[in-house]
Amino acid sequence: MNFLSRFKPSSREGSLGLILIVTIAITGIINPRFLTGDGTRDLFTSTAVVALLAIGMAPIIIMRHIDLSVASTVGLTAWFIADLCAKHPEFTWVQCFIIGPIIGMVVGVINGLLVAGLRLPSLVVTLGTLYIVRGAVYVISNSVDYNAQEMPPSLLDLGQKVYFGIMPFTFLLVIFAMLITAWFMKYRKAGRDCYAIGSNPHAADLVGIKVFRRTFLAFVFSGAMSGLAGVFYLMRFAQVDSTAFYGQELAVVAAAVIGGVTIAGGSGTTVGATIGALLVQTIQGGLAAIGVDAFWKSAINGLLLIVAIYADRTLARKSENALLAQRIKERA
Amino acid sequence: MAQKGDLLLQMKGVQKRFGGAIALRGTDLSIRAGEIHALLGENGAGKSTMLKILAGVHVNDGGTISIGDKPFTTGSPQASIEQGIAVIYQEPSLFLDLTLAENVFIGRQPMKGVAIDWAQAQSEAARLFAELGVPLDPKRQARGLSIADQQVVEIAKALSMNANIILMDEPTAALSASEVERLMTVMKSLKAANKAVIFVSHRLDEVFAISDYITVMRDGATVSENPVGGTDLQKVIKEMVGRELTELFPKTENKIGDVALEIKDLTNPAYFRNISFTVRHGEIVALAGLVGSGRSEVARAIFGIDKYTTGSVKVNGKDLAKGSPVAAMAEKIALVPEDRRQQGLFMIASVNRNISMESFDRIKGKIFLNFKKERALTEIWREKLSIKYEAQSNPVESLSGGNQQKTVLAKWLATDPDILIVDEPTRGIDVGTKAEVHKLINAAAGEGKAVLMISSELPEVLGMADRIIIMREGHKVAELSRLEATQEKVIAAATTGSKGA
Amino acid sequence: MKLKLRFSWDTSILIILAVVWVAASLTTDNFLSSINVSQIFSNTSEITIMAFGVIFLIILGEIDLSVASILALGSSMLGWSYAKGAPIWLAIIICMAVGTLCGFINGWLVTKVGLGSLAVTIGTLALYRGIANGILGTNTINEFPEFWTGFGFDTIGTSFIPQSLPVIILFGIGFALLLHNTPFGRRTLAIGQSPEAARFAGVNVVRHKIIVFTFTGFMSGVAGVIYTFRFSTAQADNGIGLELLVISACLLGGVSIFGGIGTIWGVIAGVLLAGSVESWLTLREINAQWRTIVTGILLLISVAAPVLINKAKAAKVRAENKS
Repeated sequence: MNFLSRFKPSSREGSLGLILIVTIAITGIINPRFLTGDGTRDLFTSTAVVALLAIGMAPIIIMRHIDLSVASTVGLTAWFIADLCAKHPEFTWVQCFIIGPIIGMVVGVINGLLVAGLRLPSLVVTLGTLYIVRGAVYVISNSVDYNAQEMPPSLLDLGQKVYFGIMPFTFLLVIFAMLITAWFMKYRKAGRDCYAIGSNPHAADLVGIKVFRRTFLAFVFSGAMSGLAGVFYLMRFAQVDSTAFYGQELAVVAAAVIGGVTIAGGSGTTVGATIGALLVQTIQGGLAAIGVDAFWKSAINGLLLIVAIYADRTLARKSENALLAQRIKERA
Repeated sequence: MAQKGDLLLQMKGVQKRFGGAIALRGTDLSIRAGEIHALLGENGAGKSTMLKILAGVHVNDGGTISIGDKPFTTGSPQASIEQGIAVIYQEPSLFLDLTLAENVFIGRQPMKGVAIDWAQAQSEAARLFAELGVPLDPKRQARGLSIADQQVVEIAKALSMNANIILMDEPTAALSASEVERLMTVMKSLKAANKAVIFVSHRLDEVFAISDYITVMRDGATVSENPVGGTDLQKVIKEMVGRELTELFPKTENKIGDVALEIKDLTNPAYFRNISFTVRHGEIVALAGLVGSGRSEVARAIFGIDKYTTGSVKVNGKDLAKGSPVAAMAEKIALVPEDRRQQGLFMIASVNRNISMESFDRIKGKIFLNFKKERALTEIWREKLSIKYEAQSNPVESLSGGNQQKTVLAKWLATDPDILIVDEPTRGIDVGTKAEVHKLINAAAGEGKAVLMISSELPEVLGMADRIIIMREGHKVAELSRLEATQEKVIAAATTGSKGA
Repeated sequence: MKLKLRFSWDTSILIILAVVWVAASLTTDNFLSSINVSQIFSNTSEITIMAFGVIFLIILGEIDLSVASILALGSSMLGWSYAKGAPIWLAIIICMAVGTLCGFINGWLVTKVGLGSLAVTIGTLALYRGIANGILGTNTINEFPEFWTGFGFDTIGTSFIPQSLPVIILFGIGFALLLHNTPFGRRTLAIGQSPEAARFAGVNVVRHKIIVFTFTGFMSGVAGVIYTFRFSTAQADNGIGLELLVISACLLGGVSIFGGIGTIWGVIAGVLLAGSVESWLTLREINAQWRTIVTGILLLISVAAPVLINKAKAAKVRAENKS
């Protein structure tokens, strides 16, 4: 027992990581292909876009806000870049990687100004921008689609690039983004302010935290990540139309929440969000491996999310009960 | 670093008025380093106003304040902190998701290069906790910490900001006996470090146990300032009360009938234990005691807002189901809660919608509400209670505090209850309205309703009640009849648990 | 006597709606033609039906993102059971029963288990549609009795009134009375304004919330029936993404996202506004996708306008005090 408890993970990310490894192991036993280089590479490739968005979303949920506009922003950026590249054949991946985040940041600035500046509820504001941005894609695109031949070969090559046989370039960037944001959220005052704001907005005002600036920048950051995710989208699918990534915003929220970023704010990490995205994808893959029909995919996702928030609630209830017991003891 | 005995804070003739009301009419206070200074006084004596001026929340209108040898700069909480003043409120507002170390250093985390130095923050927080004699784990989350420990974290934060003067506003109100003891240890260690501690408390036993100086306030002015050896319990109580009971209470002798409400051995181990009492028709029983003694919790348990673990509540001899306000209302019990803004009213809803909220049966046809009847109902109660508002459709948040309180009373009186429980019915309302509320409560008893009144205001308790039940730390410590009761006896029982005095 | 004009969004939206109608009928030939009006009503029928449930939830301070998935699951069950040989009336009842059950599960998870409704219904959004997917896969069922499939399209007699309109009007009146004229409605508003005060007023908050979640599920089931017959199709991705349209219709109609405020006629106006704008754009042969943008902008205005107006008022008061 003592021996086992030494392996008990001390943090939520640890537990999630453990669950992820166990899931991968089980899936691997059932279907060995899953553990091959190809299987792992597929897992990473298919997770990259959602994981990147979850990393961008995490600070916002930590601040007790939400950003529903991310999927529309991915669609906008993906289509816009494809359009630019079609008109400027001289563009390479470099231009794409610069323009993508800039487009995303424009959306983020609008969200940020409305949410932080006017103190409007982020759920409504980003629902509004979800429509406006998607509508803009519809109108601008005028039903024009783009395929691989209109895109810069250098970008598509990068999308195909794999290191060590398992690590696609896009997911390498995801890991890079995850580590930087995780470091920032833990070791910079601005990062800590996000947790304080989400944990107790009223007290955050009292201790003099710059709530406007932090909230605004979090939305800009999420916008930038969505823009980059738009570029990833092109790299993965090599085609885009006006409905690209339509309706995926809730899947991103779900990945973050499964990864331990609580919707009530104040806790969670970008590492958790990334693991959450990977976990969803692995379980999907695992179930496919044991022969569960792919049609059940979304049902499993939903169940997973409910289990995750249930676990979170149980932990919170445990500490409430402990506190009550302590109070009863002291009153006796 | 201040030496023991240095004058850290001096207030002279400080005045403050809010609109027409005078909160402070000339208060003096001198605080020295290495001293624990208790600030006593009844509700409304001006203690909180004084603390808020020092905390930078209010600005004084007259008088002088100096910190050390410099004049005090008022105006913002930030300025107060910079002058070495820290305030610990009754209910600290920590960031529950963050660690204790981080709560101590939020916004001022120690840095190493470009990164926060967590090891440094943790060891520094651990040092502060050790200094205070409460070895909390700086790495643990604040969630799940008791109020007492949360206060310790706030104090550690104050120390980390180099505060010299630490103000505590009723820090012990919500604490259990053992927690109070621990807080006293903390206060002693602050004293040993030559900090000045000013604390407001109503628990006189602990005041005498720990203070070096005691300042008594009454009606916005300082009555006395004595070293603890130069005064005693009796004297302090006299000074706090100070007045003859001149305020008129329209106490009428009502015909007292059968037992309406019978509480037996009611226990919820976290808040109160073995509470038994009865209230008869036509009788006003006061439930007295300090804030945090479990009075309101008893009322909530009777009405079914919270559940109790053992004991029973009988209404007219019949057992009342526990944990169900619906059942309580069916037995014609009404509870006018303590916090009218949060619990008593729907602030954005209109006056008539608030008043009809518990009386749908009276304004309903078969299925639908009859708006005409609703307006008529409101009109009846506006007249009876002389509630002042521009229009029935105005939101109740646009009414004055006194009229809001009358609205809460109206909505419950409209249910024509047999048993009326009122929790702090006159808190924060002006003198004229107070008298009206008292008259209404008396009239209710006159109609044969059983009234249970919770109040922290002694004159109100003594002036209104036929019987007084006094609670302390979750226990019933005394029951006094109208004839037996004196201000001194009630205060003594509520603050020290002694029945004599 | 001074006439006081109070700003409220749900009256403003009626004005906006009227303006749109006038402008649309002036700039197009047949906006107010019977066929077009009939189209507007029938195109928005599912959204309206679901919004009647969701408005109660938002007023309570909760939310349900799973309504469109419930619609799909109900529709799939309808088609599946009909294809398996169940009589059509039974299939319809199954659809509505499934919706009711889904709503109850949402309510149970939120109140009894104590999970936040936003997160829970993001979960059940995926779960319910996932089950629909699991049952039907990519199959579609589109052989339904003509009597029922006509229901979505046919008009009453020779008039232009679509058959679904009386259903919606009936529901509209019923829910308006329920929200504004009954103790149940008053308690709904009260819980949204202050759950704690509602408890002190003797409202059984938990039971009330479960009831509202459950009938929101039922309404989504009804929407499922209408959707299935209107398109003559039962399939798993029926009504995908409608949940956000339903919520935005409520918010457009002046329901406060913080709870405690909202009217049924506001929501009806909200739905009609979105439908009318779309129809207008279609008739003008403007890219109908502008509708999405207009919806978004209106949504932003609906939350920003009250805040901005209050700010302007406060600034005016400050200026007056200074002088």
